[in-house]
Amino acid sequence: MIHTENLSKTYRMGDVEVQALRDVNLEIQDGEFIAIIGPSGSGKSTLLNIIGCLDKPTSGAVFIEDIDTASLSENELAEIRREKIGFIFQQYNLVHTLNAIENVALPMFFAGVKREMRLKRAEELLVKVELGDRMYHKPAELSGGEQQRVAIARALSNDPEIIIGDEPTGNVDTEAGNLIMDILDGLNRDGKMIIVVTHDAEIAARAGRTKRMRDGRVLD
Amino acid sequence: MKDAFLLVYRNIRERKTRSILTMLGVVVGIAAVIAIMSISYGMEESITEQLSEMADLIIVRPGKMSFETGYLELGSFTDRDLEDVERIEGVKKAAGMVGGMQEVEYRGEKVMVNIAGTEPMDFGAVFGERIVKHEEGRDLRDNDRKVCEIGYSIAHDYFDYEIGVNDRLTINGSKFRVVGVLEEQGGFRSNVDSQIYVTKSDALDIFNTKDIATIFVRVKEIGDADEIANEIEERIDDNHKLDDFSTAMTMGSAVESLESIFQMLQVFLVAIGSLSLIVASLGIMNTTLMSVMERTHEIGVMKAIGAKNRNILSLFLMEAGVVSGIGGVLGGVAGVFAAKVITIYIHAAFNVEIAAIVKPEVLLGGVAVAVLVGILSGFYPARKASKLSPVEAVRYE
Repeated sequence: MIHTENLSKTYRMGDVEVQALRDVNLEIQDGEFIAIIGPSGSGKSTLLNIIGCLDKPTSGAVFIEDIDTASLSENELAEIRREKIGFIFQQYNLVHTLNAIENVALPMFFAGVKREMRLKRAEELLVKVELGDRMYHKPAELSGGEQQRVAIARALSNDPEIIIGDEPTGNVDTEAGNLIMDILDGLNRDGKMIIVVTHDAEIAARAGRTKRMRDGRVLD
Repeated sequence: MKDAFLLVYRNIRERKTRSILTMLGVVVGIAAVIAIMSISYGMEESITEQLSEMADLIIVRPGKMSFETGYLELGSFTDRDLEDVERIEGVKKAAGMVGGMQEVEYRGEKVMVNIAGTEPMDFGAVFGERIVKHEEGRDLRDNDRKVCEIGYSIAHDYFDYEIGVNDRLTINGSKFRVVGVLEEQGGFRSNVDSQIYVTKSDALDIFNTKDIATIFVRVKEIGDADEIANEIEERIDDNHKLDDFSTAMTMGSAVESLESIFQMLQVFLVAIGSLSLIVASLGIMNTTLMSVMERTHEIGVMKAIGAKNRNILSLFLMEAGVVSGIGGVLGGVAGVFAAKVITIYIHAAFNVEIAAIVKPEVLLGGVAVAVLVGILSGFYPARKASKLSPVEAVRYE
């Protein structure tokens, strides 16, 4: 379970202070599929980054399984990202010098998993996202949808409980987007917590729960 | 580990030109140091080897070497000096040499050449254990008159025409028949190459004098050489009633002083060579910094999917280490090659035979230094990369 307590985030852009998050209190249950929607600049990406341990709040707290992430060191946060969270970006963000299977195996590499194990699991995951025949292709040789599916496989690499998607379908066509959502649905049925940020109402409709954000606040 | 290298290798290959240029900096630096060290070891070895052949030799010259005046010649030795020197305990052999520069004519061409006259039986004292062999002909004999042996350069280089056995040279108006041509000596014995040897009695005629220019002394025990040299100077100075009339130089002490000069020279040369290594390390730092900057986004992604700071740090350190390590290995090869080429050049230009000595510890040390330099200069950029905030790095395009 994840819950936030009075989560606030203030950026300083030159002389101007921007309040990206204001007192966000949110609870997400294990195995839940939640969509966060809202216009750009509403703070949804900031919220996702803080929940995903990529960023730290200015005030307030985030608890992941009762761990106060604000109290953790950089290395401990890296471990949480590695073991408990799978991140999917709008821009896929694959390492372009590595092929699909190597990209999927990368988080396991950082986790110190043995090479044979890594490659075996990476292969299974790629088959699962229907890319069994594209394993040795570099990102540049894959379509946007295919790259995003590699990214999903990579997010699953260390078998995390939480999958975070920041506009995961934002850069792909409808068909590829539907396939990606199907995969996320499937993962949710397998018991994973899915948190997706989107401004596509259709995508949001597939989530079990939808939260709307505006001006750094989560609306009820 | 293997995958880390794969990752590193892919990144190096991706920036092929830049990686090669960076590597080249290391190659030049390491090659310079290794070539310099190998050649100076070779020089030291060949000089001390040649000198230690002469370690039992004391050369006595009339005059004094000083910094103020240079070499100041005060006269010449007499037969009595030679006899006194021969009588000193510990002296195995002593030979007087009569000689000097003299005009020599061959087929109408006149050249100034150094003529050395000594008794043929005294050659042992002059040349020591290592007999100077002939390219052609024979040695001088005691009862020879008006014949000469000539050094290699006299035969081949001094005159327009080559000189061989039975050719005749005109020295001071008299014809001398060549009976022998000596083999090329080079190095510390290169003076032999440019000398004409005659018997002592012929030399006395040529120079119209009884004066002895140089006395060659061979001692029984090399360890006594310095003591004997002092005694020689004292005896001769007494004979001429002058302080500092003679200088007796032992080759053993020359070896020692040359060795220390060489060590200094080595340190100096290696210091110069190391400068290029410093430049190379700046190159590595620069390349790694650029690599970090260009890959900020990728670093962010890696951190987002769980890379710890030290994962990122080690990836970039490895990258710098691999580039400079490969540079080090290639530099070692290039250094050995350069050392060979330089010794060939030295041989061609100065007629000095030096075998470059490549010590394995120098080669291994060179590669180790290269890797170390790489890692050290990669450390700052790598640390910078590892400290990047994941959220900002991911956003960086």
